[in-house]
Amino acid sequence: MPDLSCDGCADDQRTTMSRRGVLGRAAAAGAAGALAGLTGDLLSTQLAFAAGRYSGDVLVVLSLRGGFDGLSAIVPAGDPAYYAARPGIAVPKSRLIGGDSRFGLHPALAPLLPYWKAGTFGAIQAAGQRAPNRSHFAAMEQLEQAAPGTSLRTGWLDRMLGGLGATDPMQGVSVGGMMPARVMAGPVPALGMKSIDEFAMFGDQAGQPMAATLAKLYEGAPAALSGPARQVTGSLATTRALAATAYHPANGAVYPDDTLGRALRDVARLIKGKAGLMSACVDSGDWDMHENLGIAESGKRMHDKLAKLAEALAAFARDLGTAGMKRVTLVTVSEFGRRVHQNGSGGLDHGYGNAMMLLGGGVVGGKVHGRWPGLSERHLVDGDLAVTTDYRAVIAEILHKRCGLANTRAVFPDIRRTTSGIVRPR
Amino acid sequence: MTDSRKTSIGRRSLVGGAVGAVAATGLVAAVPASASAATAARRPAGYVAADAELHLLRRATYGPTAESVAEIRRLGTKAWLERQLAPAGIPDAACDSLMTRFPYLELPISELRSRVKAGTMRYGWDTMLQLGFAATSRAIWSERQLFEMMVDFWSNHLNVTNPSADVWDNRHDYDRKVIRSHAFGRFADMLKASARHPAMLTYLDNRFSTRAAPNENYGRELLELHTVGLIYTESDVKNAARLLTGLTVDWDTGEYRYSLNSHATGPVRVLGFGNANPTAAGGEKAALAMLDYLAMHPATAKRIVTKLAVRFVSDNPPASLVTSLTKVYLANRSAIVPVLRALFNSAEFRGSVGAKVRTPYEDLVATVRAVGYGPDASGTTGIESLYWLINSSGQAPMAWAPPNGYPDVAAAWTSPGGLLSRWNAHLNIVAGYRPKEFQRPENLARELVGKLPATYGALVDALARRLFGRTLPAAHTAALTGYFGKAPTAALGAADSAVGWKFSQLVALMLDSPYFATR
Repeated sequence: MPDLSCDGCADDQRTTMSRRGVLGRAAAAGAAGALAGLTGDLLSTQLAFAAGRYSGDVLVVLSLRGGFDGLSAIVPAGDPAYYAARPGIAVPKSRLIGGDSRFGLHPALAPLLPYWKAGTFGAIQAAGQRAPNRSHFAAMEQLEQAAPGTSLRTGWLDRMLGGLGATDPMQGVSVGGMMPARVMAGPVPALGMKSIDEFAMFGDQAGQPMAATLAKLYEGAPAALSGPARQVTGSLATTRALAATAYHPANGAVYPDDTLGRALRDVARLIKGKAGLMSACVDSGDWDMHENLGIAESGKRMHDKLAKLAEALAAFARDLGTAGMKRVTLVTVSEFGRRVHQNGSGGLDHGYGNAMMLLGGGVVGGKVHGRWPGLSERHLVDGDLAVTTDYRAVIAEILHKRCGLANTRAVFPDIRRTTSGIVRPR
Repeated sequence: MTDSRKTSIGRRSLVGGAVGAVAATGLVAAVPASASAATAARRPAGYVAADAELHLLRRATYGPTAESVAEIRRLGTKAWLERQLAPAGIPDAACDSLMTRFPYLELPISELRSRVKAGTMRYGWDTMLQLGFAATSRAIWSERQLFEMMVDFWSNHLNVTNPSADVWDNRHDYDRKVIRSHAFGRFADMLKASARHPAMLTYLDNRFSTRAAPNENYGRELLELHTVGLIYTESDVKNAARLLTGLTVDWDTGEYRYSLNSHATGPVRVLGFGNANPTAAGGEKAALAMLDYLAMHPATAKRIVTKLAVRFVSDNPPASLVTSLTKVYLANRSAIVPVLRALFNSAEFRGSVGAKVRTPYEDLVATVRAVGYGPDASGTTGIESLYWLINSSGQAPMAWAPPNGYPDVAAAWTSPGGLLSRWNAHLNIVAGYRPKEFQRPENLARELVGKLPATYGALVDALARRLFGRTLPAAHTAALTGYFGKAPTAALGAADSAVGWKFSQLVALMLDSPYFATR
């Protein structure tokens, strides 16, 4: 079936309407209800801490929604079972780039190859959640709460921001969507914006104090109403200042004109604007490839998705430059990996173990971290790649070494940080 | 801590406790605390008028209009509800005639495909977009309000994202034959209709599922989202997926087809359902039997009535209500009208005044209803423009990408970005900047508040009565008159901008406030 062109609708409309693979933020409606009552007193307690100037890395969390196939990106070419399981869609050895004795990178990741070679782009294989969960919604909720078996219902990034003493919504920003990023849900103020330029109040100007009038009308309202209202009126000043000058990416970086490209461009802008950013969330959707994943050639589904992803990440790294990236760590997460064996539709059903990718000046890149469990039948978990590294242990190491968070247990209870050295200490 | 101190801290939180470099630039100007307004309005219930008739209108419609308020005052809640539960008896000529502006929606799948093949219609999103425009129009202008709310409810429950490329030829047909045909019928029938419709089979990949390699996508979402919820095992998913093989789409006609060759035979067990499934010829019947079983499973009953209670009552509906509605659902073999009747007549519903917060779609549709604008005199430019405005606020109808449908609780929508785009949309709609094409009264102030009030305070009172069915606490009235630099007691002149070019701003501010955000 040919691709549909969207005659008559603007680009941004098309991207927000992109198909179900977006498997969006805050997916589980029921779970969101659990947040009620978290704001109020806790919020004012947080405000009592005046944070000093943050000097750690900006942690950029890129959520690959829909179940990313890490085996297509960081290909276990040294494992013959990989080729046996995927006769139609495995990436041939001859097409791989970068990598090491066991793994190779998908050729569509070529824009990231320079960073791989420079050691600032790396990966970890066979990472994932503690237990398999092949439901998008339940898995995403667990991924973002990151505290199974506890009563914690906040997002882990909210706990991280709290631990770092964040008090300003501009310190934790999710870019690209109206919906709050669930991973930031909780008492610490955080901001969701479609884009910096669109975060402006129409009609609010000299002689028309609309925002100030609304601040009065929301005063004393329950936190669920007053919180976002306060965040809007407060953050407008920052976005107004940032949007006042047109943004030109540095070093000739060109972002792809898609949701992820635009979001990362705005993250770079927030970082350079010194708006106090500690962490940013961005999304990349449409990874739920149950059918026609395609071979590693241009025009095929996985190839083109990976190419856009790599293009956006490379533009981000280029825009910030070597110096800028010294203070940035970007990490990818996804709710689950995909089945090792291809299905009857030339696609992959929901799986378990997965790859995480890391980009940043402090990343120990150019290699694939983690213990490889193997893909032969007896090593699989119900047909899926096993998990040998808890994804939270990876993030905990970043939080500790790069963001300067001493107590990572407050973010991930019961998680021991990885010591494999995926990032260097600052 | 004094009131003013509290306020300045609260306000500082907006700009971040002076942390960021840019924090000092704006909005730090202290606003005097208004303790009376704060206490009066602390609970969401405190924002909306408490009377039972307005409560029912705020919940069972897309927002009160002058006409609907008059109607429910005349009929009373009971008769008004019964009328809404029998939509076929409600004349809806104006909306029906509006629908003729979306002619593609009537086309059978085969007709649509042959027109595209013949080149008389372009291949693309047109039909799906017409469906979105039509849904938005019906939400605003149909008299069958509760029916339209239920169409939206089921469209989310059995979500097939509209628009999305792979259902370009059948999504409108799904709306008509699956959702609208059964919205006030039995859930079991709707579920079975969805399982045999090319839109669902395409959206959740079952059309690609074969006996050699079953695709689990539909089997899983059928259990998790459409019916019993997260009580299934991986074995249930695999069994359901196997039994559903063969339910596919004909590549030539684009219609539903049962494919004997694709069906996986052999015994299946899904929860308490078992079937020997011995022949491919009997596979479709066996699959439908499983759907009947799932539709009547107590866990399905509980999930669906809970979702209805979240839709119409509160984000955390009382267990007593869920229990009683579950019984009604099961006793009526999944018929929905008796469940709705029980819900709206329940004590729990009556006790839930002001407990819901409007979602972006509800908010913007209610905005048009509140100011009483009519659709474009001809054509659909204005309707389309409103649809895209709603889309950029995050909730175009049926457009949610994942299969679980839009979230329906306030916490899922408390995004500052989303709130800001709603505020911007209010002013755009009311002032007629966007959409420009709606039919608006020549003098909006006269339309909404009648003859010129004597003072600024009386103007705010009159507008609040019209929009919310109540007046505001003194501090909030003063905040709104203060927008014009006036005290509530200040005399209002016919030439003042507050009833002239700035009147839209006053209306927008009131629609931005918690008095409109809650329902």
